[in-house]
Amino acid sequence: MIHGFMMHMVCPFLGTMGYAVLFNVPRRFYLSCGFTGMAGWSVYHIIVSHTFSAAFASFLGTMSVVFLSRVLSIRKKCPITVFLVAGILPLVPGAGIYHTVYYLVTNQLAEASLRGMESIKVAFAIVLGIVFMLAVPGKLFQAASNFRHQVPEGGRKKKGIFEQAVRGRFR
Amino acid sequence: MKIQQIRKDKEEYMEMLLMAEPQRDVIESYLDKGEMFVLVNGGDVCAVCVIELLKNRKCELRNIATRVEERGKGYAKSLICHVCEHYGNQCDTMYAGTGNSRKTLEFLGKCGFVNSHIAANYYAEHYREPVYEGEVKLTDKIYLKKQLDSEVNVKKVVDLALEAGRILLKNGAEIFRVDETMIRICQRFHVEYVDTFILSHAIFISAENGMEETYTKVKQVPLSSAHLGIVAEVNELSREISEGLVSIEEAARRLKAIDRIPEKKGYFQVLAAGAASGCYGYLLGASETESIAAFFIGCILYVWVLAAKRQNLSKMIVNIVGGVLITALAIAACHLPVPGNVQFGGMIIGSIMPLVPGLAFVNAIRDIADSDFLSGTVRMIDALLVFVYIAVGVGVTLSVYNRMGGGFML
Repeated sequence: MIHGFMMHMVCPFLGTMGYAVLFNVPRRFYLSCGFTGMAGWSVYHIIVSHTFSAAFASFLGTMSVVFLSRVLSIRKKCPITVFLVAGILPLVPGAGIYHTVYYLVTNQLAEASLRGMESIKVAFAIVLGIVFMLAVPGKLFQAASNFRHQVPEGGRKKKGIFEQAVRGRFR
Repeated sequence: MKIQQIRKDKEEYMEMLLMAEPQRDVIESYLDKGEMFVLVNGGDVCAVCVIELLKNRKCELRNIATRVEERGKGYAKSLICHVCEHYGNQCDTMYAGTGNSRKTLEFLGKCGFVNSHIAANYYAEHYREPVYEGEVKLTDKIYLKKQLDSEVNVKKVVDLALEAGRILLKNGAEIFRVDETMIRICQRFHVEYVDTFILSHAIFISAENGMEETYTKVKQVPLSSAHLGIVAEVNELSREISEGLVSIEEAARRLKAIDRIPEKKGYFQVLAAGAASGCYGYLLGASETESIAAFFIGCILYVWVLAAKRQNLSKMIVNIVGGVLITALAIAACHLPVPGNVQFGGMIIGSIMPLVPGLAFVNAIRDIADSDFLSGTVRMIDALLVFVYIAVGVGVTLSVYNRMGGGFML
C-alpha cells in the first residue's frame, strides 16, 4: 500500500521531469514541472480510485494542473506553457488510444469503439479543464502567487533589475 | 547662447509665434501638445520653435521664428540643430510644412530638409483670410522632411519585433504571446501604430513609416521542434525591453544569442525519454518489470527520433516508424527469458509517451480558447495526425505479428 502510494508520487514526478527535458525546458524549472505533474496525477488518481469516471477525473486533474501552472508562471515570471505541457501529459489518454488500436487490430470492434469513445471523452475533459481554468481572471492568481511570498526572493530580483539599469546607463 | 525647453506659460511667446503663423487659433491648436524651445542670448529671447510629436517616430516642426532685429545671425539654424539632436532617439524623421516662399524653403534647405510632399490648397481651406508672404498669395503647403541622426528607425524596430516573433513562434509559443511580444517591443521604441497578423506558421507585420508610407514584412515560419527554454528567454528579454532596460542593439544581439541556444544533450534527452516511458508505463498499469523494459524501449525510441530529426525526416515517417519500433521491441521483450508474466501492452503504452504531441495539443486548445481558430485548427490537426501516425505504426505491427502466428499471444 505504502509502496504503491510512493510510486504514485515518484513516478509522475520523474516522468513529468523527463518530458520537460524533451521540450528543452530550462533546468531551473524542472522541479516545478515535476510538482505540477505530480499534483495533476494525484488528483486524477484519487478521484478515479473512488470510482468516478475517468473523464471527470481528467477534468479535475487538468484543472489542478492549469491552476498550479498559472500560479507558478506568475511567481517564476515565465510562460505558462513551460509547466502546462509537461504537467498535463500524464492525463493524456495514451492508454486509451493504445487499447483502441489493439482491439481494432484484433477485430474486437465493439471494445474498440468503447475505448475510442472513452479516449475522446477524456480528451474533451482535458480541453474543458484547460479552457475553464484559463478563463478565470488573472487577478485571482496574482493573489494566490503573492501568498507567502518570500522576501529574499523579491529583494534579489530588485537588485538584479537595479544592476541592469546601472549597466545600461554606462553603455 | 543657451537653448531651453519651455514647459509652461507658452502663451508669453505668442507675439513671436505670430510672425511665422498669421492665425492665432491655429497656433493655439498645437501649442498645448507641442513642445517649445527658445534660444536665449544675453538674457533676451532671440528665437523660438514648436515641435509636435506624431505617431510612429515622426515629428513636425510647426513653427520657428526669430525676432526681427536678431535675424541673419544663424540663431534659427542652431535652434533647429538642437531640436534635431534632441529628438534623435525618439524620432526618425522631422517634417516641416511651409507656404511656397523662396526664402523659407532656402532656409530649410540649408538646415538639411528635403522635399517630401505637398498638401494642395491647404491655405485656402484652413485659413479664413488669404495669406500673403511678401507679394505672393499662398495656396499649397509644401512639406519638407529631414532624416534625423538616430540609431533607431521604424524599420529596425519592426525587424527586431519580427525576429523576436519568429523565434517565439518557431519554438512553440502561443499566438497571443507572439502578438503581445511584438507589439510590446514596437511600443517601447515609439512605433505606436503597428498591425500584426499571426498564423501558426507565418507572421505579417506592418507599420507606418513616414507620411503616406508603410513598412510591411511577411515571414514564413516553418513548423519545427519545440524549445520552451528559448520561449522563456525571449519572454524575459521582452519584459526587460518594455521596462526600458535594453537598447535596440543589445536586444538584437541578445536575440541572436538566444536563437542559438542548443537543445539539451542527446544522451540526456534519450535518458529523459526513457524515464518518461518507464514512469508513465507504471502509472498506466504496467508491472515493475514491464516498466523497466519500457525505460529501455523509450531510450531506443528516442535514439531513432533524434537521428530522424537530424536527417529532417517528415513527422509522418518519424512517428509511424516510432510506433513500429516500439511495438516490435515490446513484442521482442515478451520473448526474453525474464521472470514473471510480461505483457507488451503496458510497455507499448509507456513508451509511446515521448511521441505524444503534448505541446501542439495544449497550444491548439489555448489558441482556440483565445478565439484564434485558424491557428488553433492547424495545430489541432497537427496533434491529431501525430496520434493517428502512432496508432498506425502500432496497429500495423500488431496485426503483422498476429498474422505471423503469434496470434495465440493476443
